[in-house]
Formats: sequence, C-alpha cells, structure tokens
Amino acid sequence: MVKIGKHKTDIQIAICGSAGDGTIAAGDILKQAMAKAGYNVIAFDIYPPEIRGFGKCVARARITSEQVYSLKSESDALVSLNDSHAIAHVQEVGRYGAVIYEDTPISDIAEGAHISSHLAPAHLPYGVAFREISERVTGSARSRNIVAVGYLAGLYDMPVEAFHHVITQKFATKSQALADSVLDGFNAGYHIGANTFHLHFDRIGTSRGKGKQSDLVMMSGNAAVARGCMDAEIDAFFGYPITPATTIMETLAHEMPKRGARMLQTEDEISAIAATIGAGYAGARAATATSGPGLALMSEMMGLGVMAEVPIVAFISQRGGPSTGLPTKTEQSDLNLAVFGVAGDGQRIILAPTNVEGCYKCAGKAFEMAEKYQTPVVVLLDLYLSNRYEAVELPKKNPFAKNCSKPITQKTNQSSYKRFKLTNDGISPRAIPGDEACMHTVTGLEHDEQGRPSDHPVMHQTMSEKRHKKLLGAVNHRGITISKRFGDKRKVDVGILGWGSTFGEILEAMIEARKEGIRCSAMKVVMLSPLPLKPINAFFDDCGEVLVPELNYEAQFASLIVGATGRQVHRLNRVTGSPMRVREILAEIRRLADKAQMIAAQ
Amino acid sequence: MRSKKRFETMAKREHYVVIGNGVAGTEAALQLRQRDQNSHITMLTAGKLLSINRYEFPKVFSPCGSDWRDFLLHPPEYYDEHEISIQRNIWVTHVNAAEKLLMLRHRESLSYTKLLIASGGGRYIPESLNQFRDLMEKFGTYEEAKTVSEALSKGGHVVMLGGDMIGLDLARSLIKYGFRVTVIGQEYLFWPHHVEPAEKQRFTTILQDMGISVRSYASVESIEQGKSGRKARHIVLNDGKTIDADIILSFCGLMPSLAFMAGAGVDIERGVLVDPHLKSTDKNIWAAGDVCQIWSPEENQYRFYYGWENVKEMGRVAAFNMTGGNESISTFQDEKLIVTDTGEIDSPFWQFS
Repeated sequence: MVKIGKHKTDIQIAICGSAGDGTIAAGDILKQAMAKAGYNVIAFDIYPPEIRGFGKCVARARITSEQVYSLKSESDALVSLNDSHAIAHVQEVGRYGAVIYEDTPISDIAEGAHISSHLAPAHLPYGVAFREISERVTGSARSRNIVAVGYLAGLYDMPVEAFHHVITQKFATKSQALADSVLDGFNAGYHIGANTFHLHFDRIGTSRGKGKQSDLVMMSGNAAVARGCMDAEIDAFFGYPITPATTIMETLAHEMPKRGARMLQTEDEISAIAATIGAGYAGARAATATSGPGLALMSEMMGLGVMAEVPIVAFISQRGGPSTGLPTKTEQSDLNLAVFGVAGDGQRIILAPTNVEGCYKCAGKAFEMAEKYQTPVVVLLDLYLSNRYEAVELPKKNPFAKNCSKPITQKTNQSSYKRFKLTNDGISPRAIPGDEACMHTVTGLEHDEQGRPSDHPVMHQTMSEKRHKKLLGAVNHRGITISKRFGDKRKVDVGILGWGSTFGEILEAMIEARKEGIRCSAMKVVMLSPLPLKPINAFFDDCGEVLVPELNYEAQFASLIVGATGRQVHRLNRVTGSPMRVREILAEIRRLADKAQMIAAQ
Repeated sequence: MRSKKRFETMAKREHYVVIGNGVAGTEAALQLRQRDQNSHITMLTAGKLLSINRYEFPKVFSPCGSDWRDFLLHPPEYYDEHEISIQRNIWVTHVNAAEKLLMLRHRESLSYTKLLIASGGGRYIPESLNQFRDLMEKFGTYEEAKTVSEALSKGGHVVMLGGDMIGLDLARSLIKYGFRVTVIGQEYLFWPHHVEPAEKQRFTTILQDMGISVRSYASVESIEQGKSGRKARHIVLNDGKTIDADIILSFCGLMPSLAFMAGAGVDIERGVLVDPHLKSTDKNIWAAGDVCQIWSPEENQYRFYYGWENVKEMGRVAAFNMTGGNESISTFQDEKLIVTDTGEIDSPFWQFS
C-alpha cells in the first residue's frame, strides 16, 4: 500500500501514441483508477479520424485533490508510445516534467527520430524497455501500454489497488488468462517505476476522498448525457452515427432495451429527427443526437417541431466545420445554426452545459422543458465536452420530473379541445394522439387554436407571439442552472462571459487572475435561447470590461449577446481544433484589467 | 531557391558531438560555442541530469537537505542560451570513425563531423573485491549518492575500501556530519597522489586525527550480508577481525568509461591515447578528462591527469583545437598532497570552481 502524501495533488499526464497502440485504453485505466481512488479527474482524449494504423491519439488526464475546471496548458508527464507522434507534444511538458518513452525500439531508427533528442534541458528523461518487459512478462508486445501505465503508477506513487480493481473490472468479460496477463504487465511496470529514482517533484498527495474508495464515477460528457436520458426515462431514441455524438447512441443502444425503451439507428439524420418528432408527438420522451452536419440536415424538421409544438430533445455535439470540417477536433461554431437554423421565426430552447455533471443535468432537464414548453430542446455540446472525462458524483435520488406536460383539466367533447389554445403563459394543454375526447389536427402550416391551417394575418401574429412567449418561463425552470456568476460578486474590472466547454478554461483563468489581484468575475450562460437577460445585464452593469472567449471564428456567442443586450464586449476567438488555452484567456484578462484601471484613473 | 541556399548553409555547419557532460565535456561545449557560433553542438550523457558538480556530492548528507538542482553546474536555460543540445539517458554503444557515426543503444545512429570523448571514469573495483560488488554501494551519480545518504541512518558507519582522494573527500564530510568512517586498504590510499611510504604513514595519522579510522594494513577476506537486527554488512578482514558496516563503498581509483570505443579504430591503452593537442589517432576524434591518456614528452609516456582544473583545461584545449586551433596542453595543477595550517589533509584534487 502506497503511503499517500499530505500535500495537495495536481498532476496532469499525457499519453501519446498511434491508433492501435492502446493509448486511449491506457488513459482510460489511469483516469478510472484515480477516480476510484477518490481523486478529481478531468480527462480529454484526442484521436484521429482514421480507424487504425497511423493516426495520432493523445489521452490527457489531470488528477487533483481540489476541484478544478479544465486541463492545464502544460502536462507534468508525457508518456510516448509512439515517438513520431509524441515528439510534437514534448513542448507541452512543463519545467522538470517527466518524459517517459520506449528505450528499446524494435528496429533501427533514423537520426532525430527518437524522442530523447527532442527533450528540453528542463525535462526529465525516463527511458523504459516497455516492449521487452511486455514480451517477457505477458509473452506479447501488445501489453506495452499496460506496462507503461504500471510504470507511470509506480513512478508517481499512485494507489496500486485502484488500478488492480479497474483492470480486473475492465477485463472481467475476457478470459482469466488474459486478465491475469494484463495484471502481470501492469505489476511489472509498476515495480520498475516504483524502484526508479524519482527526479521529478510531483507526487500524488491527498485525494478528495482522503484515500478511501469513493462514489466518484469517471464519466465522459456523452456518457453523462446518456445517463441523464436514462434517468429521465427516455422512451425512444433515433439517430445516425456521427463523430463526436455517436457514443450517445451507442450507450443508449446498450441501456435502453434493458428498460423496454426503443432505440433505432435510422438511414440518415433527416429520418432520425422525423422519427423523433413522430415519437414526441405520440407522447414518448424522444431524442436524437448528431453533430453540426447532422443538425444542418435536421433544420427543416426542427421547424416542424417548433410549429407543431412537439416536445423532443436533440443533442448536438459540435466539431470543426463547416461541412465535414474537422471531424475529430473541437469547436463551438454551430451556435448560430442551433439558435437560428430554421425557416421562419423558429425559436426553441437551447441549453449548453459547461461540464460533465452539467451534461447529465441538462440532458434530463431537457426532457422536462421539452414537455413543459412543448418545443424542441437542443442540448449543445462539443467534442471537448463529449469526450472529456470528469470524476462526478451523481445524485442518489433521481432529480428529473416525469410527465411535465400541461394537463387537460376539462374534457368535454371532441370539438371543444384546442391543442394550441391561447393562454396567459402561451402554453396549451397537451393531449396525446389517440385520446378520443381530444381529437385535433397538427400541421407544419400556420394554424388556429384547434390546429386547422390558417393564413389569417392576425392568427400568424398571435401564434408567433404564443410560441415565443411560452419559452420565457424556461429561464426560471427549476432545478437547473440557467446562468451562474463566479468570483467577485461586486463591481469588477473584468468580467468573462462564457458558454459550453470553454467555461472550464475561463474559470481557471479567472482564478489565476484573482490570485494576481485582478478584480474579475466570470459568468456561465447555460441557456442560450431564450437568453436569461436579467442576470446577464446585471453582470454587464458590474463589469468594467467584458471578455467573451469562444472556439469559433465569427464570435457567435458574443454577437448573440451584443444583439440581445446592446452592450459591448471584447471577443477572443480561436479555431485551432483544440480547447482554448488558459494562458491566452489570462493574458486577455490582464490586458483588459490594465485598460479598466487606466479608464478609472482618467 | 531560398530553401536550397538554407540547406547548403546548414550542410556546411560543423556538428560537434561531445560524449560526456562532466567538467571536461561541459567546458568543451562552451568553448566550442564561443569559437564556432554557427555550429551544431550535441552533448550526450548516460545520466538523466544536466551537467552536475560531483565534487559537491558529499553535501547530500547535509542535514539541511538538498535536491539535484542544487548540484547543477548550469541551470536549464544555460543550454538554450548557448544552443547546446544536451541529450540525456543516451548510451553510445559503438563509434564508427570511418563513417563518423555514433551508434546509440536505442538503435539510433548519430552523425558528427568532430567528436570529443569526455566520458570520464567509473569506479574501479579490484579483482579481489569484484565478487562482493553487489554488497557495495555506488557513489558515482547523484542518484547513487542520494540513495546512499537515504540508506544511512544518523551516526551510521561507512566502510570505504581503498581510500582514494574521492573517497577521502567524502569521508571528511561524513565525519563532519556525525557519521563514522573506516578506511581499509593500503594500495589505493590517497590515489591518485603518489605518496612515498614514509609520508603515507604521516598522512594516515593525520586522517585518524581527523576522526577517520584507517586500517591501512588490512585487506578484505569476505563481505557478507549483515544478520537480522545487526548492521547491513559484515566484513571479515585477513587478520581475522570483523567490522560491521551500514554502507560499504569502494574508492579504488577510476576506470575510464570507454567500452563503446572498442573497434572504433582509435588507439586505446587504459584510456584513449591522445597527443598533447588531445587529438586521438583519428583525425576527427579528440578526448579530454579522466578518459584520456596524454602523451607526455617529458616523461616519454602516456599518462592520466586528474582534478577539476586539469580536466577543465583539457576541455578548453580540445575544443580550441577542434575548431582549428593548435594548442598543446601544458599547465597542470600541483598534484601534491598537503597538510593545512590546522593540521588537516588537503588536496588540489578537492578544489573546484
């Protein structure tokens, strides 16, 4: 049993290899084990669009004892399972960070092709014969990723029992011989790592769970969405695979049949949204999931959902665009499409969680909102959030309400039921098809209260107002964070307004800025349509300058905010395919703080 | 056109490779950079650390505590500022002098235009002690020194076999820090100083006055693992007496580290043979420091020179000549063992700057 130090833990590990090297699997064992041991873990995997053979994979995990909100710009250790890919990542290793690599390549290599010649003077080299150890202990070189994880665990004094537990669980469905072989590989690496002289200064210290096995669960954003769907008792899911949303469908395909719910892979995204609307209309809790290109195809049917007031949920995980774009890189550039991408005035609810726990809550609450406000709800994720892993503690009691539709209080006769009845809050009592007492018509055409087509100018005006007005109540929907302010709660020099996955980096930057004495505050906006204007305006009132960092070129969120509030913002936009760097946001905060101070001095 | 021109410029750059990052290698790299600013300089070392001051290793026993950064000759930025690529954990397995290639353990080949061998020396263990080497700790690297210091409890007993000047430097520090030290042996006592027998007795007495126990006429018969509850090592001497020790260290001089030079086509005796310009028998290979034997016209033989000042000067001269200079190594520090005004032994080999 490793003695855990009393100091705080904050270590980021990057594992880099080629597709097929077991890079992501190694990272998965690392993060699962450390979460099992009670540490906070944030992890993010990068993988290539190719299936196997030559693409680069990077698994990063930040392991901490305190709550943190994003990965660090610099890693404390880099494990190379393939130098040709890992060499480019050596520069992300910080001062006195470790670079761990294969010391006995299988064949001769060209001058400069080995990672050891690319280390900075401040890096610490740890060469290990992963392949040889794996062959000796397991009879195959295939487990060298496991040997590498073992070495890493030994080198950093990580709790070995948690790794044994995770490996045993991971290989529970395989043969005992294979599971034993993998454990042998891990133990061999661990033994060597533990007995290697430690030159690095990072050590595993206290955990959030103080060394006890915890209730923390390592979960990706997409897995949290699927869990939220299941806890909200989803009835039907229709989808077509697309990166990075596919794993939502994969998980639900596995889980839904266990509860008698239905999941169908359709022939394309148009069919998926059409079927979802059909199921939603029929009274089912129905959802679909796709990415930006899929959302583009779904736009027309999304309009039908708005017009026919059908409750559905669409999970959209953004990736680099336009068109096929960057299928395996992250971006936040589908905001405009999500908010505005329908024919006509087709406002619906848009939610954008900022972390994995938020994915769970937004997923479940989206079904409540869809039913309550009788509209499509789009939950906007992105690749960084979909694939990001965090150690989360899910509520022991199911937090999601069932059957949130406005009830029909009076049933008289067929002709008196008005599916689109004009009410004070814009929400009409909803009947499910098949209720003989509530026969009604539903169409994509503009319609009257009973659903009959109508192009009367007053009717279109009235119904448009109804469809917009009913959504206003959503900004006060209970049990979900619509927006939240962090940091200084009074007047500040700099405010940072953010959405989606970037908010983690925003929070980290704000925390750093406050340590530097900068008066600043950050606000996340989870509901992007309709916007919670009251807290947003209050935030502007308190901030000298407002910065909006986001991962798109057109400053889509900034423009949305400026359009809705008439306030001025400073835009910070990056489309590198990678998450925003904390230090970039911090640099901008410093610049704006100086500016605010100068203005105040004048 | 621009890229072609750039390629041609790069092709003309010298690539100096220095094997070893001790005093000689580190000084040579600096001199190479100062004399040829357009060159590419690569230092290779088997160790994991940047150039480190081994003369300060006794400080690992200091109760004040330290880590390896306290022993660095230069901070990491130094190498970036001087554009010196320092590659660590690199083991040269073979030198192909004909093709100017180094073969590395990790199966990479590295080309050079001019090569400096400055790989230093490792501990020498006499044949009679070799069978006990696994029971003797090493003290050649920072990691080894730190491991010894962590294994030694307060007031612990260190037995030194041999008692060369590196060991005696450590011994006087250990005494200062409250440990017990016993030196066994005659042959390597005060190495590399040449001490006449009559003087050796006088210096031995001084060592004992300094608190170091010396068994100069004893030799080791056997070394065993200590019994449970006793000290870690049990030594049986040739006179039948026994000594229990926490740590046993061998300090019997240095053996040049040049196994990788076998078959390189360069003349080697105990070290790499070099002329007074520190050039080997290969026109592109020089050597400096503890690894080379320098031709001494005065003595009409090849000989080693030790000590910080000596090897640093060798590094400077070798680099000077590798960059087109023509200088002979000539000035060496005094090699006499001395007694200070306070009655303690001092040695020029303990001096460093």
